[in-house]
Amino acid sequence: MATADEVHISDNDLKPFFVLHKASNSQQHARKPVGRTSRKVKVNLSSSLAASDESQLLDDQLHKNSRMKNFHDAWVKIESTIKDVLHNINADVFNEINGWVQKSFGAICSSGKLDTNKATCSYPIVTDVTSNQIFTAFVVMSNIEFVDDLQTFADLGVHLQSHGCHMANLSSVDFSAKSGIGGCLRSLLRQILNGSTDAADISILASWYMEHDNYKNPVVVIIEDMDRCSASVLSDFILMLSEWVIKIPVILILGVATTLEAPKNILSSKAVQHLSPSKFFLGHPTDRLDAIIEAVLVKPCSGFLVGHKVAAFIRNCFLRQDGTLTSFVRAVKMAIVQHFLMEPLSFTVKGLLDEEVAEADAWPRQALDLPSCMRLSEPKSEALLSGASQMKEVLNLWSSVVLCLHEVGKNQRTTLLDLYDEALDPKLYNLRNSDHLEVKPDPQRPSWNYDMHGQSFERQKGGLISRTIRQIRDLPPAALHQLLEKWDKQTEGVDMIHEKVKELRLQEDDNLKEPPTRSRKQTIRNNGNSDKLSEKAAALITCMTREHMQPIECIPFHEIVCFRNADKLQAALVGDPRKRIQLDLLECNKFLKCSCCCTKSHNVPISSMHDTSLMYTLAQEHGNLINLHDWYQSFKAVISQTTVKDKHKSKVSPSPKKRKITAQPQIITEASAQARFCRAVTELQITGLLRMPSKRRQDYVQRVAFGL
Amino acid sequence: MEDHDIDEDEFEFSRNYFLAKESGKSGKKSARKLSEIDLVDEQDLRAEVSKIEPKHEKEIASLIDSYKSLYNEWAFELQYGFGLLLYGFGSKKTLIEDFASTALTEYSVIVVNGYLQSINLKQVATAMAEVLWEQLKLQPRSASGGSIKSQQPFNSRSMDDLIAFLDGPHAPENESFVCLVIHNIDGPGLRDSESQHLLARIAACSHVRVVASIDHVNAPLLWDKKMVHVQFNWCWHHVPTFAPYKIEGVFHPLILAHGSASQSVKTATIVLQSLTPNAQSVFKVLAQHQLAHPDDEGMPIDVLFTSCRERFLVSSLVTLNSHLTEFKDHELVKLRRHSDGQDCLYIPLSKDALEKLVQEINQ
Repeated sequence: MATADEVHISDNDLKPFFVLHKASNSQQHARKPVGRTSRKVKVNLSSSLAASDESQLLDDQLHKNSRMKNFHDAWVKIESTIKDVLHNINADVFNEINGWVQKSFGAICSSGKLDTNKATCSYPIVTDVTSNQIFTAFVVMSNIEFVDDLQTFADLGVHLQSHGCHMANLSSVDFSAKSGIGGCLRSLLRQILNGSTDAADISILASWYMEHDNYKNPVVVIIEDMDRCSASVLSDFILMLSEWVIKIPVILILGVATTLEAPKNILSSKAVQHLSPSKFFLGHPTDRLDAIIEAVLVKPCSGFLVGHKVAAFIRNCFLRQDGTLTSFVRAVKMAIVQHFLMEPLSFTVKGLLDEEVAEADAWPRQALDLPSCMRLSEPKSEALLSGASQMKEVLNLWSSVVLCLHEVGKNQRTTLLDLYDEALDPKLYNLRNSDHLEVKPDPQRPSWNYDMHGQSFERQKGGLISRTIRQIRDLPPAALHQLLEKWDKQTEGVDMIHEKVKELRLQEDDNLKEPPTRSRKQTIRNNGNSDKLSEKAAALITCMTREHMQPIECIPFHEIVCFRNADKLQAALVGDPRKRIQLDLLECNKFLKCSCCCTKSHNVPISSMHDTSLMYTLAQEHGNLINLHDWYQSFKAVISQTTVKDKHKSKVSPSPKKRKITAQPQIITEASAQARFCRAVTELQITGLLRMPSKRRQDYVQRVAFGL
Repeated sequence: MEDHDIDEDEFEFSRNYFLAKESGKSGKKSARKLSEIDLVDEQDLRAEVSKIEPKHEKEIASLIDSYKSLYNEWAFELQYGFGLLLYGFGSKKTLIEDFASTALTEYSVIVVNGYLQSINLKQVATAMAEVLWEQLKLQPRSASGGSIKSQQPFNSRSMDDLIAFLDGPHAPENESFVCLVIHNIDGPGLRDSESQHLLARIAACSHVRVVASIDHVNAPLLWDKKMVHVQFNWCWHHVPTFAPYKIEGVFHPLILAHGSASQSVKTATIVLQSLTPNAQSVFKVLAQHQLAHPDDEGMPIDVLFTSCRERFLVSSLVTLNSHLTEFKDHELVKLRRHSDGQDCLYIPLSKDALEKLVQEINQ
């Protein structure tokens, strides 16, 4: 018995690292990224697997493969869409920067012609102090979180490289005080000379620059996050470059996350003297996010959509927690992974994905069991048949209405993020249909409490959508004209709405045909006309929202393409170890599901509880310092006392359950109690919930967490 | 019902507030000493720890077993570029290794034991590169002829080179991954920011996938946004196992064995006995002074020197200093600044312990 219980430590456990196994040979067969070998999958992904006959299994396997393939396709589509959107947004500023780079290079070249003599002389000839200026661009990011802009700078690097520049993308990691100037120089050389050297010597760069045709193009160094660089290293780097600027005309691009003052504050004045600065501004994250939402989520580009709760969660993450595009994209990816993992019917998504709707895009039979189909009134088989194409139609209507609304809201800086969130809300939609939209939807709309993706971000009463609609009435004629033009564009291809918009535009044209010479009366009348027109426009969009803006969650079969499990998404995206680990300890019974420690009220220490759990429960009674002696005594009391009670009880009523408990060792020796105490303290120390005794307070440990 | 819950929450909150704020000085605080417990000898304690009878063995086994159904999900997430981060109370070592050996047979798997005190990440990266190289070598040449450069032994390459190799381009038809399993990525050997940055860079490589576990409640503080969103790209999974932290806890001193007076006395005696009789006597002078003046902050060096010279223990300050250096190295003596600005020496032991120690060396 004792030998079996002894701590079993293998050699591997004590090695810093070891190879567990090498890739099996089976992977030598060309393996599609989506398909896994069926042999390997013992536990099937689909939860609905009840019958185990072979054809069913085969079907499931097929479905699973197509689910994985659909996931792959959808994600590739989304990824490329996002890339395009960002590319378009950045195109202007990139071109601007490129123009500046070329101009600066021209300026350097004209000031002093480079020749081999100068380049090969041992030390650069500095003619006068003002001449060794480095052209520097400060690229101001409008987000203090620089993660989003990492990709932007990478793209900028690619963009400039495509225009012939010699590029190096450095980051604050290269400018650490620890590795010093050698560190950044080394990465610079690695990138420009393609990793052929590991020496940190700028003269290598100088001689390389003179080779072949290299000197015909500028060397551009991007430093993504200047604010986080070590000030002295960066200053030294700039001073060094300025000494060599005649030989190697380096152009610097510095990303600034804080303010334009930052470079002056960070760099030494000597280094600042050598900079010849220009400024550029990157787009605001909200604008980028709106563009991405429009392309990815509003226009159904991929056959994947998210439900209202998920949208609200993502929105809240962006607005209140993170504020970065990166985390938004990550959330979308996580959502899509979870969706295809969880939804067995997602193998049929393909119908929605294809540009032209295939004939065989009916939903499968099983789809009838979906909750959204239960309330279908029309004959079910028909609903199945029209399947994806019908859904696509509804979605197109929805997205064009949302985009029209966004056009209206743009003047008031209403973000698509907010509009999108509200447009997805099935409750609002139902209210809208029962109520008149003009009248405020419902001020007493229940405010739901999802813990983190809640509604706490206050929405002005009446809802964003009706507020947006009201704005139309106040539009001046010129703006209204522009708006109608935009609507015309947005609704193209959606006949149902497009016709009405066209009609409205015709009316507008008629109004404009009024004779240009206007008397005062006419002006008034004209105003009246345009008032009428805006009234009509407002009526149109109201009608559009009421009739055509059907959120995805109100459409039958939406479960197939729509991910709604916000809790799951949240759990996967942001773990909460501080809370969860404490809960594990305090409610261990929930996980272990044992019969012995089941009490009505939790938090009552019993001897059968997991030792560490028991100790942590006891610790709850203490203040920030726990007296080890007291803690030990209460622990010992609990573990021994209940055993006695059980023994006593078992004599009275020897039920089989009780007997099992008495089978445990009755006498707890001092040594074993101390050992258990020690181990529990160690485990709590590993979780970080305790701080160990200090020299000054040898008899106390410190509690770290109070409350979850 | 709901109101009741809110009340309870509020009560809980205020209770926690006062518990946390309870100052050390308040009279209520228990002042019982650990030494009041009849402590078992450390060796016996260790033996006893290894013999602790497991509780809920069956339940724990079935709990861990229940996570098996998630393996496919995890493998899927891993394949699509997420890193798996498992957390929850209990050792996840066996769980992760079981997952790696059943569901990740297509990857090469390298395990890092982050609970150890020191880990050389360069060696880890080298091993990863070697494994990956073998893997790529076995592939049909057609697609990836260029990616395998002339082979320079990996262990002489720089970290940047290794990372560049791991981040190499994929052959279109055949993706090769090396999976890095890191037990306790928040462990003592990896807790510094340099290691974490290095791990993040490795995790971001195109040929690398990471499965890691954390146990510390504040582990997420190790990472900034770039690491979390871009490099590690964690997908969190809450998997409490309640399995004992056997190996993870081995390196933690036992609370009832460590820091207690008897223990320090024992180690101090051993150290002192290994020193010369003169050095022992110098220590005794200091100890007696400290016992005689318990309220003093310590003994000034010149006072110690005079009294030692009087007893013919040392002849010069140099000899005394060499003794003192020895003491300080073994943490037998510490230096602190006296309130009048003078440096003075003291022995970092309680009065009881010191008395015991003096007795021991007198024997």
